[in-house]
Amino acid sequence: MSQVLSVKNLSISFGGLRAVDDLSFSIDRHEIYGLIGPNGAGKTTVFNCITQFYKPDTGEIRFTDQKGREHLLNGMPPHKIIGLGLVRTFQNTEIIRELPIIDNVLLGAHTEFKAGVLANMFAMPWARKQERELRKKAMEALKYCGLDQIANEYAGAQPYGVLKLIELARTLMCEPSLIILDEPAGGLNDAETERLTELIRGIARDHHCAILLVEHDMKLVMGLCHRICAISFGKKLAEGTAAEIQENALVQDAYLGKEDEA
Amino acid sequence: MRLIRNKYLQYLLVGVAFLLPVLLRGVPTATVTLAASMVYTAIAGLGINVLLGYSGQISLGHAAFMGLSAYLSAYLTKQLELPFILSVLIAVAAPLLIGLILGAIAVRLEGFYLAIATLGFGEILRQLFIEMDWFTGGFSGASATYPTIFGQTLTKNGMYTFMVCLLVVLMMLVHNLVHSSTGRAMIAMKSSRSAAMAMGVNVFQYKLISFAISSVFAGLAGVCYVHFFRHVDPTVWTAGLSLNLIALVVIGGAATVGGAVVGAVVMHGLPELMKEMPIIGEIPGLPLLIVGILMIIILIFYPRGLIFVPRGIIDSIKKRFGNAKKGEV
Repeated sequence: MSQVLSVKNLSISFGGLRAVDDLSFSIDRHEIYGLIGPNGAGKTTVFNCITQFYKPDTGEIRFTDQKGREHLLNGMPPHKIIGLGLVRTFQNTEIIRELPIIDNVLLGAHTEFKAGVLANMFAMPWARKQERELRKKAMEALKYCGLDQIANEYAGAQPYGVLKLIELARTLMCEPSLIILDEPAGGLNDAETERLTELIRGIARDHHCAILLVEHDMKLVMGLCHRICAISFGKKLAEGTAAEIQENALVQDAYLGKEDEA
Repeated sequence: MRLIRNKYLQYLLVGVAFLLPVLLRGVPTATVTLAASMVYTAIAGLGINVLLGYSGQISLGHAAFMGLSAYLSAYLTKQLELPFILSVLIAVAAPLLIGLILGAIAVRLEGFYLAIATLGFGEILRQLFIEMDWFTGGFSGASATYPTIFGQTLTKNGMYTFMVCLLVVLMMLVHNLVHSSTGRAMIAMKSSRSAAMAMGVNVFQYKLISFAISSVFAGLAGVCYVHFFRHVDPTVWTAGLSLNLIALVVIGGAATVGGAVVGAVVMHGLPELMKEMPIIGEIPGLPLLIVGILMIIILIFYPRGLIFVPRGIIDSIKKRFGNAKKGEV
């Protein structure tokens, strides 16, 4: 099976703190891969390193796009990442509150737009046409996430659960091969989480993409992920299926504390 | 109702309203002069709104860009006797070029640092206006004439009409821009830098674009100024003017197309209106004081800008007279 992402010997320090320490893992095509760990284990930092928001100290991050070309992500500017088909969400949601929901989703197609400043200023017909086409596509993405009814409402007025879904819909605009989700179920109630689980599974299936997610909701992680990697203090503890992870003594220690300490 | 909602039509109506002093008979020329001040500041304000309101960048140096274009256009038309259109193009290309160079340095700075860098740059440019008297006439300034367009020499009213037409066209262009992928990227950059970057927005590039657009608009405003007032001297292009541009954008309505126009009208019109008032107008300084207090009061109730006042009034009337079903959406 071919890989979509491979992370080798990734390390990054902030001051004296080793946030990620020699971490390696890889994700296969169409796989749903979970990254778990106690608070402060370095999960979001791993995401930020992959998407080049942080520049890792050591390690190689390689991404294979839809056409099978391999890209070394290290050193790429963050805005170039999405063009490869690698897109992310944020732990605390990064939504453009001043824009309607549909425009937030359209932002996900930013790299698709051909029109430059002048073409947009003079509203060239071909630029308007592309805008209309992508708007239609954004509407479909919203429909997929069940938000099409409120597409034209302002994002700033929406509850947290909806913001999470807007971010998810936004990732669908770039023909992704890998979607990185940072705590997609954070702040959601049980019913919402259950719907989200189905949605994520559906996205992986319908968009033929892999998903890498960080999540604290163990029910979601265990039910959804094909493979799980558990980390603590930036180090890999274990990797395997849900059952293997649950059985693993190191993981149990990290989450519940060692028996002799208790 | 739908026709009224058409933005292009709204901008045209704004243009017609501005042309009333020219169209109506018996309007004193001082009124046209006042209206011209509103129009050229509105043009510069439109550009500042793209920079500040939509892109979240600040500049205290744009008054100097206006001055640069004003001097250039005066020099090119008078000393070199170039045709008006050509000299406008050159006069606007200069601040664009400098804006891009300044922008390329400045966009690496944020917030206060950006403000100080642009402030310093603007003041240096203004000092140059004073020093380079072969080009600018030094302290006493340079003079210009009403322009000749296609063999037709404009009158004062003609020049004013030209400025109003320019303003309307620029409003339409800004409207197109902010409702396109470019505008969306700018707003995203202002609202969430992380989201913008993750979605593929080259933040550096878009900051430069907004700098370039606002520089061009400032240049056009400077050209309008010099060919309407037919005189330019260094006292005009101070950081105070740059601050005024920012103030009028905020007072009128940041991140709205009409905000700069509303702001320019109020900031030039309100003091004049107060001066005309009985008693208040007769005490020196009092009109300006009252304008200041009024603006603070208005901004407390309409922090998003005066352009939202009509909507606010309509909403409160609706709320009072039933229509409660709809609630606040």
